[in-house]
Amino acid sequence: MVYDPLHERHSQLLESRPTLPGAVDGNPLNRPGVPHESKPPARVGAAYWTSPDRQTSAEKPLVGQGRALTPVYSTANPPRGLSGVVRRFAYTIPDYRARRWMLLLLADRIDVLEHNPRALIKLLAGVAAVGVGVYAVRGLRDS
Amino acid sequence: MKAVTYRGPSNMRVVDKPEPRIEHPDDIVLRVTRTAICGSDLHLYHGLVPDTRVGTTFGHEFAGVVEEVGPGVASLSRGDRVVVPFNIACGTCYYCVRGLTSICDNSNCSCSMGGGAFGFSHTTGGYEGGQAEYARVPFADVGPMKIPDDMSEEDVLFLSDILPTGYQAAEMGSIKQGETVCVFGAGPVGLMAMQSAWLMGAGRVIAVDRLDYRLEFAARWARTETINYEEAGGMDVLGRLREITDGRGPDVCIDAVGCEASGSALQKILGLGMLQAGTATALAWAIQAVRRGGNVVMIGVYGPPWNLIPVGDIMNKGLTLRGAQCNVKRYMPHLLEHIRAGRLDPKAIISHRFPLEDGPEAYRIFAQKSDECIKCVLLPRAA
Repeated sequence: MVYDPLHERHSQLLESRPTLPGAVDGNPLNRPGVPHESKPPARVGAAYWTSPDRQTSAEKPLVGQGRALTPVYSTANPPRGLSGVVRRFAYTIPDYRARRWMLLLLADRIDVLEHNPRALIKLLAGVAAVGVGVYAVRGLRDS
Repeated sequence: MKAVTYRGPSNMRVVDKPEPRIEHPDDIVLRVTRTAICGSDLHLYHGLVPDTRVGTTFGHEFAGVVEEVGPGVASLSRGDRVVVPFNIACGTCYYCVRGLTSICDNSNCSCSMGGGAFGFSHTTGGYEGGQAEYARVPFADVGPMKIPDDMSEEDVLFLSDILPTGYQAAEMGSIKQGETVCVFGAGPVGLMAMQSAWLMGAGRVIAVDRLDYRLEFAARWARTETINYEEAGGMDVLGRLREITDGRGPDVCIDAVGCEASGSALQKILGLGMLQAGTATALAWAIQAVRRGGNVVMIGVYGPPWNLIPVGDIMNKGLTLRGAQCNVKRYMPHLLEHIRAGRLDPKAIISHRFPLEDGPEAYRIFAQKSDECIKCVLLPRAA
């Protein structure tokens, strides 16, 4: 093996390592996640219902294509404005389609601009500047 | 109430928001006393997680005192101190009864990718997070665990996410006595995976990162060997790993980095251009470094479903690849005993504490990994 200063450091670290308390979870059967799927019905916590009560908030969230409204849901930050329009459309696309996620990322960017007027003005100014530049170049070419 | 909210990529702001209220019979409202910033919060912070809406409160690692209980809550009372798993789980659906509370069927109607979670965009149900003075906690009879009277919130705060996540990662590696485990990423979750690997009988644990201060902490706290991949020449870390493992590669490789890995220019370019969901460098390296017949575990968080990873190697090398959001609840009692016995000391990784009002600054420091930051904890005023 080629001499390697990193290797030397590894050996030093191993030698300086204090004695370990022991591999108390060395037996896989001691590990809470083994087997990965518990034998049902492994009821969790203090859940006492067969199926949970349903939330009855007036505002409802967007529901993904192929999904149903769940018994519990969040009513925080509902979709609004242009970003909300894009989000509503994205939710009609199945989640195994990349375009759903691309549209949601686009909606996120629109959302930031909607909440940040200065950034929106800068963006519009930039687009306008590009437009004027293209127009000017065409004008020079045509003249 | 004060809450740390998202305004746009790398832009957080502390705002006044209405306090949460009971919306379902099994809700509680929690007065948050401790809350942490997770590495996966940075994916939200950088705008990489789809459907992250302006105004969202982040935060899925929190503990506090029960302030209000819904009419259906049977196991908690006002004044109880609890730590809350990041998963929101109903306890009785197809997945929950199999112990898979991270993919509960009854808490996320947005998509089929996973169950509900606190403060992690509408992709995971849009629930407000715990980086605030108060938080709504659904299915309170299922998730929250009471904090023993002889323990503080900081003793158990990381039972909400990073400790069981790191432990589950080591567990999914099916580590056998004496095996060599390599953890890519010496951040908080990676550190927990390293300590957990020893508990499962690993013979060697190797930490790979680019930050010397984190590698030094890993060597000291988690007793690992270390490789700084930038010193090793970037991708040449793979050759270095083979050299120190008799040419085979580690038996188990754990990707504890996720979609904001550094180290590969190609992955970075594609990630910045949103041509893939962040960079998958750590996962690619884990697959390429592990010995034939070995196990790869991915617990780093990734976004939408496309990335450049060498999936052909998974088949050709006969690898076992496992990944999952942690099913926190099933680990909490077991890991609480490890904490109590002194075998694990998760609060030792807290490097920074901030008042909630300084949340944006905390995010900046955590994201830039400046001031030798490992883990930030926020303290709401009501704590």
